[in-house]
Amino acid sequence: MAEAPMEDQARPWPPPAGAYAEERGLFQLLQNMLEELLIHKPDDPIEFMINHLKQNNDDAPRICVLGPPASGKTTVAMWLCKHFNAIRVSQETLLFKEVLMQTEEAKAYKERNQKIPNALWANLIQERLSNVDCIKQGWILEGFPENQEQAWMLQSSGIFPRHVVMLYAPDTVLIERSGGKRLDPLTQEVFHTTFDWPSDPLVQERLVKPEDLSEQEVSKNLLEYHRNFPDIFHIYQKVLKSINADQPSVDVLSQALAFVQTRHRSAAPFTPRILFFGPPGSGKSLQAELIAQKYDVVNICCGQLLKEAVADNTKLGELVKPYIDNGYPVPDNLVLKLLTERLSALDCLTNGWVLSGFPRDVKQAEQLQKAQINANRVFFFNLPYESIMERLSQRRTDPVTGERYHTTLRPAPTPEIQARLRQNPKDEQGNIEKRLNIYYSHVKALEDFYQDAFYVNADQDPFVIFEFIESCIIKPLPCKNIRSL
Amino acid sequence: MAAGEEQSREYLQRHRLPELLHRLGALLLFHRPERPREFLIQVLERVKAGRRAEGEYPFLLDEANVDAMFSLLDVLGQGFIRPAQYREALKTLGLSTEDLELEDDDAITLDVFKEGMKKKMLESWSVY
Repeated sequence: MAEAPMEDQARPWPPPAGAYAEERGLFQLLQNMLEELLIHKPDDPIEFMINHLKQNNDDAPRICVLGPPASGKTTVAMWLCKHFNAIRVSQETLLFKEVLMQTEEAKAYKERNQKIPNALWANLIQERLSNVDCIKQGWILEGFPENQEQAWMLQSSGIFPRHVVMLYAPDTVLIERSGGKRLDPLTQEVFHTTFDWPSDPLVQERLVKPEDLSEQEVSKNLLEYHRNFPDIFHIYQKVLKSINADQPSVDVLSQALAFVQTRHRSAAPFTPRILFFGPPGSGKSLQAELIAQKYDVVNICCGQLLKEAVADNTKLGELVKPYIDNGYPVPDNLVLKLLTERLSALDCLTNGWVLSGFPRDVKQAEQLQKAQINANRVFFFNLPYESIMERLSQRRTDPVTGERYHTTLRPAPTPEIQARLRQNPKDEQGNIEKRLNIYYSHVKALEDFYQDAFYVNADQDPFVIFEFIESCIIKPLPCKNIRSL
Repeated sequence: MAAGEEQSREYLQRHRLPELLHRLGALLLFHRPERPREFLIQVLERVKAGRRAEGEYPFLLDEANVDAMFSLLDVLGQGFIRPAQYREALKTLGLSTEDLELEDDDAITLDVFKEGMKKKMLESWSVY
């Protein structure tokens, strides 16, 4: 398919090209390559780019785990390493496990009980990180950088973490924790007498108390940490997340994992194609309207679309009319035709769309896919039964203006309007039950069909919900797989 | 502008990287390969080969495309196009229109067009 050379610049990309680019993450691919080029500035960019592409390590983790002493950095770092099969780099591994060029020098400082200079640490780290295994599998840097100078040195040698996990906890908790800290000399794992005791009795016997941990030492280290912390925070602000270390370790770990899997907001061109699923009354149309207003996407409600077709007396509308008039559901193929027509209109292609009310079951979802209509964001609204009943049974409409009201949450402003409000028969108790049953019978299969969907707690303030939905749309989808071509 | 930024911009200019990335993007969107990474590696290998004069650069348009382009421009089927059209065609493809010594009423035949296109495309890639 050769493109005509004199094409008008202002026309949108033909859908296949745009969808292809989005699906494959082309923007990110090229952006990563450009970043690497700028960091290293090789003399032969072509050769460099070939090697970079062959490495295929765009998704390899590059994480720093920072925090005050006894906050649990080692536990988090080890766990993340196991999960991603990445390389863990920390003070101990640099001094004792590896044999790098300057290891001897560093060890000498330690023997003399002197503080190892920042430049030496930076060199050790840089050398370790440029090893093939770190480049291929990714790295987790634990406890570094400790201060601003180290951070700058790392940056000038081209080391930029993509995620920085910053653990925090009150000093009292930390001091108490370090009292119970125990080390397994075999595996280097860290345990605690109260909070994290190993279940294996063999491990229990091996545990020793780490050497340099008098209460004075710990307080000194804490003070030093607090002095350096604001600068580090400032440097890595954009890629940093603070996680409260004063929680059960499972929670800390799951928060850390969720964070390092997120992708930061990118400038990649993105046309939202959003599907909203949810029981009647969950607020889909309100959220759809808010999104449409703020981001200029086209708001399509399937039911509305059908009624408009009938009202406009279009060819398809005439076919649809008898079904709507008699209250029968419109056959799938007609609805699909109407939808495909609408969704291939220029405004939908350029600005994106948000669709509610279709598909209602997996069969329709498959047909949608076959018609080449692929959503890139899917949301399931969750609302408990009582809230649904409360919202729906009290819905009223003003027959004169068409405004919708709710007897408790959004009452009519004047008694005059109040008097003429009517209830839509589909909102009567019996009918609500029927609609809900239909919805619940299909929703599980739909949830399985749309694996990457987001789940919205619809029982909250509309603007809180809106912010959540917005953040899911704006940020790239989290990175669940590590390797992808 | 900070020194680092200055250096980086100068580096990009010197190696014409923005244009190169632009072309890579164009090739990707045009061919839509199943495996974008491998495709890009192949394209870059071809650039390397072209540099050593061992093979052809990864031109976006092959001969058939150039022929098709010419026939689109030559609407009346006269066998030639105007220099103005020739310039426009070059501009659309992002090729330079400098050092084109053409009178305003010269007739550009298919052969001249093809030669000119080939030369310009070769020129544009040879900076790499």
